[in-house]
Parts: sequence; structure tokens; C-alpha cells
Amino acid sequence: MSRIAHRPAAGIVSFAVAAVMLAGCASGSGGGTADSTTDAATGSSGTDATPAGDVQTGGELLYLEYQPFTTLYPPQSGFYPNGGIIANITDRLVYQDPVTLELEPWLATDWTVNEDATEYTFDLRPGVTFSDGTQLTADVVAKNFDLYGLGDAERGFPVSEQINNYAGSTVVDEDTVTFSFSAPAPGFLQATSANGAGILSEATLDGDVDFFAPGNATQVVGTGPFVVADETVGTELLLEAREDYDWAPPSLEHQGRAYLDAVRFTVTPEDAVRVGALTSGQADLVRYVQAYDEQQVTGAGLQLFAPQTQGVNNSLSLRFTNPILSDLKVRQALVAGVDAQEVVDTIFTENYPAATGVLSHTALGYVDESDRLAYDPEHAAELLDEAGWTLDGATDGIRTKDGQRLSLVASEAKPQPLSKDTLTLVAQQLAKIGVELKILAADAGTFAEAIVDPDQVQLYHSMVARSDLDVIKSQYHSQNRNSLLSTDAELDRLLEVVSSTADPAARLEASKAAQDYLVEQAYVIPLFEEPQVYGAQNYVHGFGWDSIARPIFYSTWLEG
Amino acid sequence: MSYVAGRVASALGVLLAAFTLAFLLLQALPGDAVMIRFESPELGLSPEQIATIRESYGADAGLLTQYGHALAGAVQGDFGFSAATGAPVRVLIGEAIGSTVLLAVLGLLTATVLAVALAVAATLLPWSWLAGAIRSLPSLFVSVPVFWLGIVLVQIFSFRLGWISVIRPGPLEGLILPVLTLAVPISAPLAQILLRSIDTARAAPFVGVVRAKGASEGWLLANNVLRNAAVPALTIAGVLLGELIGGAVVTETVFARYGIGRITADALATQDVPVLQAIVVLAAAAFVVVNLGVDLLAPIVDPRLRRRAAA
Repeated sequence: MSRIAHRPAAGIVSFAVAAVMLAGCASGSGGGTADSTTDAATGSSGTDATPAGDVQTGGELLYLEYQPFTTLYPPQSGFYPNGGIIANITDRLVYQDPVTLELEPWLATDWTVNEDATEYTFDLRPGVTFSDGTQLTADVVAKNFDLYGLGDAERGFPVSEQINNYAGSTVVDEDTVTFSFSAPAPGFLQATSANGAGILSEATLDGDVDFFAPGNATQVVGTGPFVVADETVGTELLLEAREDYDWAPPSLEHQGRAYLDAVRFTVTPEDAVRVGALTSGQADLVRYVQAYDEQQVTGAGLQLFAPQTQGVNNSLSLRFTNPILSDLKVRQALVAGVDAQEVVDTIFTENYPAATGVLSHTALGYVDESDRLAYDPEHAAELLDEAGWTLDGATDGIRTKDGQRLSLVASEAKPQPLSKDTLTLVAQQLAKIGVELKILAADAGTFAEAIVDPDQVQLYHSMVARSDLDVIKSQYHSQNRNSLLSTDAELDRLLEVVSSTADPAARLEASKAAQDYLVEQAYVIPLFEEPQVYGAQNYVHGFGWDSIARPIFYSTWLEG
Repeated sequence: MSYVAGRVASALGVLLAAFTLAFLLLQALPGDAVMIRFESPELGLSPEQIATIRESYGADAGLLTQYGHALAGAVQGDFGFSAATGAPVRVLIGEAIGSTVLLAVLGLLTATVLAVALAVAATLLPWSWLAGAIRSLPSLFVSVPVFWLGIVLVQIFSFRLGWISVIRPGPLEGLILPVLTLAVPISAPLAQILLRSIDTARAAPFVGVVRAKGASEGWLLANNVLRNAAVPALTIAGVLLGELIGGAVVTETVFARYGIGRITADALATQDVPVLQAIVVLAAAAFVVVNLGVDLLAPIVDPRLRRRAAA
């Protein structure tokens, strides 16, 4: 009965302070770690919280996760629970600063890229070891990327969606490795910084896809600051700090071992229990605070962090291969008939900024498309009239054309926050312009079949996070996630230009062209910029996140 | 001896039927686990890659081939690998079963105690208004959603009063609220059956005779009525096992317990056939064993059944 953690609150952080922090995060200035915001906030309110200099080493942090992980295979780190673990047990060749998005040395001390971005050579940092004691060598690094870049269908490994045009590797010497590509691959450097390219040990890479499944987590070995020390399938994972860790990104102030001794991931699927456990002092840090629960966290005077995922916005993809949506005017009407601002105001909080383009406003290559995405129900109605969908003879307010009702189906995005509520509100908005929107209700198998059939699901709700221009190709290319179920060769071509233009300026232009095309064709209805929302006790300091908001515990410490 | 052999044979028959039926029903559902796991657009796999993966999993093999394969494995206690995560089903179930069995047994025991307490109180309390109120409690209990009850208990005893920790609780501490959550709705039908049988037994002529001899109501209840009323309640307890499994799905999610209920919910969400197969066989086995236990126990409680069996 006495297991509830009672920690002395050293500095009582007022509600105002929490509000300041919130504002900081929401405006995008809230840095990659909590320290910058926390200290600014506490400083301004004059409380006696321990300054950032007095870092305390030791302790175990209890982290409540929403779902159990499904695999620790790095290319499948896109699923939040997977990525949250992989980000802390592996290191990458290159470090991406989560604020500036600059690429900096990490396991690679230096690199060169040839003119047309078809050859990348990395010099490796000496003295790096895996937690199983083996050395980081050029051979192991080559083996990692050969698997990620080429896949291995026999063992069940697909090609990583983040690595395009990979041809092979050459080990130049003990600490130099060259990767070559069949076509320019300008996104590769960023790909080497992502969780999807976490470097694994030789023995780990010999496993098949089931080696990375739950139950075997302690066998997945990287060079990261934490090691999986214990696993209880479906409920718990214990990460322990490596005492001998000494290869943090050189640009970080913090070097050496992690401050925490351990991080305990505990799966707590019920939202109310996660937040209640935090506010009643039973947990140190929780992930996935729902928008309607944010007030509870800030109201209790606790810290709330809402880092942005900085990729393709949470949006609805309009499947234009469906006969109804093949008409540009109908698609334009849907775009004009959805009020993203109302969605944010009604369902979400200021941590979910309304979308102003295909990409998040803090993402690389962001283009402001807000003019062409504006809410204009009257114009939407005109467009539908012009397209022949009229209200003549409609008995229930839904437009018809040649006897067919203007009825569409949207699919719920289970991993995304409050998807069903979002779609319900969008359906209400569309009903005002005479469009019926139904939300697909189905079992898993029917759902899996329906979402790849444009005649069953016309509006597909999704998002994707990655801090590289290639992210737009991941989402919309017909050979990747293909959220549009596209048959549009021009779109594919524009996206391929993004992923294969070596010159940085020209690549930005290419991304702009692709975004413009998506909006001109009214292929997408962007809704909001999706954050990951964490709640933390006030004695938790230095909690960080990477460029796509996965938790980073390396510099986290507990006060008191 | 032949009675026991017959029971075992029929039990095995039930298991095989459950296995086959579950297999057929799961196959009849649209889509399959490999599709759900790998064809999600979120993974960004190309159609060719998916085709290779499908082939390596044998996802498109004939129905009979798949059935034979699954059955051969199941007979040896090997239910293969979870199609959703790749973890061995044996490991998943093995890690989960202990906690669920403990929860279910304690839940059933608590429910029984609760039901008997309610029935006795409703029968013996001298104040008719209170007895009436207690009589209506089972109807209330049976309509309480398990999910809601769990959340309310957590809110009050853990978050408000801070008496019990729901996050990483001690082994005993972690059982209190889940067992209560599970026991309340289960106790309702038990209490109702018990009450009704008690009423019937109390109206029986022999009770009138005993009462006329000067026995008190309490003595009557303990020595004559309860024993007569127990058999229907015992029989319903076997049926309530299904309720327990359903309750475990919700309870384990709310209390973040890892058990068969949680696995079932996850496996259903991902249409994870190997896992679901194993759970169906497990649940069928539990039913068979419990009902066998009830059948063997009933004659001990009620000697009239014994005589009939012997005749």
C-alpha cells in the first residue's frame, strides 16, 4: 500500500509557469529538451527549483506508455511505442538536432557525399562498443544498411521506406564505409539519423523478423545509452543505463553515461488511468495525454510537453480514383467545406495548430498553402452545383446526381489522436454543404481490405512523421504508403524528383512543386499539425525528444 | 472407470470441435493477419514486397493444408507464432495465464462470498425494507458495466484516497481492485439464483415441519435450506466462467494487467489467428474442466443426486 511514490516537490511550479511552458511549446520555440523551457519558466517566476547545473545522477524513471511495442526492428520504428524504445537503445551515424534540424556527427565523425548524391562515405568514431561487448566496425555498419536498404524477404524484412535507391556498401577500411545508390539519394543522410537506421550488433542482425518480436527484447543489442535489461511481455520493459557509454553526439553538452540509472516502461492502455496515475503521483512521466486531459495535467501544476512530429500533417487523403472523387470540382468542394480551425478549436488544444499546408510549419520545405485551403462553404456549394451534384429533390439534405447520393466513407486512423471525433465533426461540416460522410466501422480484417479499396474508403485519415523532404514521398508515392491509392504518374514523378535531386535548393523547389500539385489537385484536406503530448512530474528535468517527438531519456534526471 | 473415460473422450471431442469451428470462423472473416500486419499503408511496403512476405508465411496455402498444419501443431501444444508480432504463442499465453487464472479464481471466490452474504442477509434480516433493498442489489450489480466500475474504483481508491497504487502495485495490492471489479457483476446472477432457490426451499413442506419443531430461521438456513439451494447456484457457477473471461478482457485493460483478456483483445484487433486459436482451445478446456468439476461436486453437495446416479 505504500508503493505510491511520494517525492518532495522542491520548487512549487505554479499554474502560470506551466502555462508559460505550454505557450513555449506550442509556438514551436520549445526546444528539443525540456530544460530550455523549464528553466526559462522557473527563472521568470522566481521559484527555487534546482538550476540545470545541479544535475543529479541516478534513480529510476517510471514511464507510462499507451501501447505495448510490436517490434524492435528499427525500420519499423514509425509506430510510437517501437520508436520510443529504439530511440534510446540505439545510436545513429548522424545526429539531427531536433530544433534546427541540422545534421551533426554522432557515430560517424565525418562524411562525404559525391556530387550527385549517389555515394556516401562515413568515417566511424573509434572506441564505440555494443552492449554485448563487440566493437563498432565498418563491417557491422555496412551489414546494418545492407539489411535496411535491401531488405530480406526470406527472413521477413522489407526495404526501409526511408532509404531510397540503395545499391550496396563497400568497406574501405576498419573505420570507413561507403554506401552507393543506383540513383541520387539526397535524403539518405537524414535517413542515417532517424530511428529507422538505429545501428545494431552483428548478432542481432542475424536474427529473422521474429527475433525482434516481443519476448526477445533483451537480445536486441545496440550501442545506445540504455540497454533492455528486462522484459515482461505486454506490460513492462526495463531500460538500464550503460556505465561505459561515452559516444553521445559531440554537439551535446551532456557527455558520458545517461543521468538516470534506469527507465521503466509500463504499458497502461487506459487514458484515464495514465493521467490519473500522473496527477496522483504514481508515475513520473506519461505519453499520450489526450487533448481533453491536458487541463488535468496543467491544472495539477505538472509539466506538459507537446513536441511536434514535424512531417506530413494529420490530414484526409481524397482517393481520386473513386468515380465521385475523380471530379476535381468535388474534391475542391470537400477541401473548402472542411473547417480545420473548428476541428482544432472544438476537439483539440493549442498544442495542435491548424494545418496551413501539406507539411507541418516547422517541417523542412514547408510551403504555406493556407489561401487555397481556406474554409468557404458557399464556394463549396457552388462547386458541387457546377459538378452536377444538386439539392433538387433531396429529401435528407444530401446532394444527388443521376439518382446517386453524394455519400462518402472515411477510415478512422487508430494510432492518431481522437480520429473518430475528428471525423465525426468533419462529417457534420460536410453535411452542411450536402455531403454525407460515414465513418468506416469494421473488424480488423475488413478494415485492412477496405482501406486499400477506393470504392470502400474515399477519405483516408493519416499522417507521417520524418524530418526530411522525402517524407512527402513516403506518404503519397504509389510505391510507398500510397495514402491516395494513386494512379497519377505526374504525382509520382514530382515525388521522385524530391527524393532524387542532389542539389539542396533544387530539392526544396521540387518539394514545393509536389506540395503545390497536391493542393492544386485538391488531393488532400490537411487538418492539424500533430504533436506528441507528454505529462511529467516537476522533479523530472532534461526530458527530451528527437525531431519527430519520440522520447529521449539520455539527459533526463530526477530532482530530490 | 468407463464413466471417467467417457467423460475424457467427450471432452476431447468438444476441444476438437471448438478448435475446428474457431478455425473455420476465423478463416471466413475477410482479410487475414499477414494482410493486417504488412499491408497497412503505414508500413510503406510495395505490392511486390507484400507478395513475397505472404508467400513466406504460407498465407495463401489451401484451407485444408493450413488446417492440418495448425491442428498438428496444436496437438503437440505448439500454436505457432503470433501473426501480429511474431512472438511464439506459447510464450504469450504462458506469460499471461497465471495472472488471469489467479484473477478469475479470486474473482469467483469473492463473487461467491458476496452472493451468499447477500442471500443470507436478504433472508434473515428482520427489517423487511432492508431485506427488500438487498434483494434488489443483484439487479443493480448485473447492470453495472465492468468498465465503468473499474474506472470508478480506481478513481476513488487510488487517485483520490491514495490507498492503492494501480501502477506497478504489489502482488496483493494489485489484485484488490481488479478482483472487486470482476466479482461484483459475477455475484449478481449467483445471488439471484441463490435467493430464488432459498425461497423455493423455504416453502417446501419439510421446512415447515422443521420450523414447527421450533428451529430458528438461522438454523434452518444453515442446516436445511442452503444445502438444498446450493446445487442450482453451483451449476450456474460453471456457466459464469464465460462471464469471467469477458470480464477479464475489460478488467485487464483498465488495470493495465497483462493476461489472457488483454491478449484476446489485442488478438481480435489484429485478427491474430494463431493466438485466437490457442485462446479458444484454452477457454474450451477451462469450460470442460470446470463443468466436469461441477458434475462431480454436485452429488457430494446433494445426496439425492448420488442415489439417482447409483440406481
